Amino acid sequence: MRGGRLFIALMLAPAFLILGLFYVYPTFQNLAISLTDLSLLRLKVGGNFIGLDNYREFVQSPEFGHLLFNTVIWLTALSVILRLVIGLGMALLLDSPVLKRLRMSTVAKLAILVPWATPPIVAVVIWRWMLDAQNGVVNGVLQSLGIVDHPVAFFADLRTVWPSIVTVIVWNTVPLVAISLLASLQSIPDELNEAAELDGATRWQQFRHITLPFLMPTITVLTLMSVFWTFNNFVYVWLATGAGPGTFTNVLATEIYIKAFVDFRMGYSSAVGMVMALVMAVFGVVYYRFIAPSELKDSL
Amino acid sequence: MRKWTLALTAVVLGAAFTIGHAMAQPTVNLTFRFNDTEEKEMRAALDRFEKENPGIKVELQRIGWRDARDQFLREASVGQGPDVVHMAQVWVKEMGQAGALLPLNDLMKKAPLPNGFDDFVARELAQDKKGVIFGLPWTTDTWAMVYRTDVLKEAGITKLPDTWAELHDDSAQITKRTGKTGFGFPAGGSASGAIWFLANYYWWSNGKSMVVEKPDGTYGMNLTAADIAESMHYFKSFLTEGHNPTSNLSASDAHDPAILQALVSGKQGIGTMPPNTYKQVLETYAAANPGKPLPFVSGPFPKGSVTRTSNIGGRMLGININSKHPAEAWKLIQYLASEPIFTTYYTTQFPAQRSLLKKVDFGVELKGFAEQLGYARTWGPYSDGPAPIGAMWNATGRAFSAALSGQRSEKDAAEELVQTVSKLMKSRGQ
Repeated sequence: MRGGRLFIALMLAPAFLILGLFYVYPTFQNLAISLTDLSLLRLKVGGNFIGLDNYREFVQSPEFGHLLFNTVIWLTALSVILRLVIGLGMALLLDSPVLKRLRMSTVAKLAILVPWATPPIVAVVIWRWMLDAQNGVVNGVLQSLGIVDHPVAFFADLRTVWPSIVTVIVWNTVPLVAISLLASLQSIPDELNEAAELDGATRWQQFRHITLPFLMPTITVLTLMSVFWTFNNFVYVWLATGAGPGTFTNVLATEIYIKAFVDFRMGYSSAVGMVMALVMAVFGVVYYRFIAPSELKDSL
Repeated sequence: MRKWTLALTAVVLGAAFTIGHAMAQPTVNLTFRFNDTEEKEMRAALDRFEKENPGIKVELQRIGWRDARDQFLREASVGQGPDVVHMAQVWVKEMGQAGALLPLNDLMKKAPLPNGFDDFVARELAQDKKGVIFGLPWTTDTWAMVYRTDVLKEAGITKLPDTWAELHDDSAQITKRTGKTGFGFPAGGSASGAIWFLANYYWWSNGKSMVVEKPDGTYGMNLTAADIAESMHYFKSFLTEGHNPTSNLSASDAHDPAILQALVSGKQGIGTMPPNTYKQVLETYAAANPGKPLPFVSGPFPKGSVTRTSNIGGRMLGININSKHPAEAWKLIQYLASEPIFTTYYTTQFPAQRSLLKKVDFGVELKGFAEQLGYARTWGPYSDGPAPIGAMWNATGRAFSAALSGQRSEKDAAEELVQTVSKLMKSRGQ
């Protein structure tokens, strides 16, 4: 028995070592920096201990509410919801008998993977060109159809900048959701739908009472994973707008970068990072406390 | 006999190889991080340096200006980074004081510059108050206005604008009469954005300044929130009236492709930029329209209520505090500041030595830049004052971008900028 425990401890040791070195130590180091006024111009000298001043300043700053709203609503909630809805629609389409009859199923599956295989930086550049006010194909089409009189500066106009960013994110990331849901869809036994059809169930009733319950575990996991990936995401906003115009599209991740590497305030930036980590920790607790156990139970 | 001959030959060759190997100088490998776009030309210049200095090899690294400052500071703080670093003039002092740059005083004594350090412009930006020199001014320039003569003619404009009000009116007239962009300037708020220059030129020309030195030697702002809001209102009018397209709210650099393309293709009548960017515009136009006369002219910035002005800007070279080969790095810097570099390789830039500047032929198209140089001023108190220029620069960019895009009112954005700059000044003990 003791030998067994020792064996388990030895097997777990490398994982704990890696976690300690690459997660726990940096987290505590970041916490320590967040309590100082460390500047990038004074890295060699170090910062002075200023207690919770950075946290106080961040929470009391007029940008705080704006940053939270942008991060939670625009960046995370909207893009996650759209990703799931569009992903589900695409999965249903890929699984439909129509595509199979037309022998388009494989081609469609391959085509859907193209955006996912596109690196985010390339995706942003492509969309910036497509949405460009002077030479963009989207403006060209909109003008030729008479929908707009003047070109729209999608990434500069306050009315269109967030929808444009969300479009890029959804385009680039929806295939993973679609493919994951397609895999779940294909695991639903055909007999269930056939029986429901014989009992007179409509398509919507079949979807509502058979398909959706089967997909729920996958949707739950995808939702949580999407929230983690998106909430933390820096790339799309920074590459598309640089958090502008002004600070209109600034989110927590870009605020960390701006404060650290544009304004050189490493201490303040670390404090923002800690706040962000706390929010993510809440998501993590929700997941491990409520969702993971039920998933485990379902799978047993 | 033959065996003896072979053995003797082997011994002689072996000895020669050993002695030769022992006498050969070990190659010194330097790294030069260059931030401009002329990578091919600079590589050619470095190849020549390597030929002239057989014991030194130089690796050329390229990085964009936007990331150059923080990247180098991060590297230098952990004992890394290139040997020779390319910097904006206004970064040098703060980088030196951050302990990232090697003081050059001793190297200058050991291997003096041909015409001495006094031959260089912008020396005050290269050294601290104790006289510690952290960088060698490499190039100098100033911004000027750039006009498409054919677009002006099409709009019925016969003379270049002389005041800010005339610039606004001409810009509006171009759009009204030709449907083209008038004064298309980058209005974005990214780090190191161009709106910082326009804002300062506007303030200076009207007798205001973000940083001034007071008679008692302390520093303060000679700029109220109302002054800033007024300047924001002026630049915003170009966007709201439609003669600068709103897409330029996402352009932050003078060399933004959308603006340069609009100038080259004749879709825009007026621009503003430093000379190296202007030379690129001229070259691109000439390549696309071989044999055609260049429809461009440069001119000085408009007058405000006091004067017309711009800043003396440019680049410097410095040596990383962590360089293991400072003597060789200094040799490279001296070579890069020599005349052939500016006449053969780095031809889009003007040298920072007065002796070399005198020899520059500005030509017809660059006449406006030469004229503007006469009105240009240094950053002066901005550089000596308590707030880092980079931080004020970025805060100004964000505030203007917020006001110009409509995210904030001009009044709110201006008040926030005043608060930010005041705080930056106080945080450094003033």
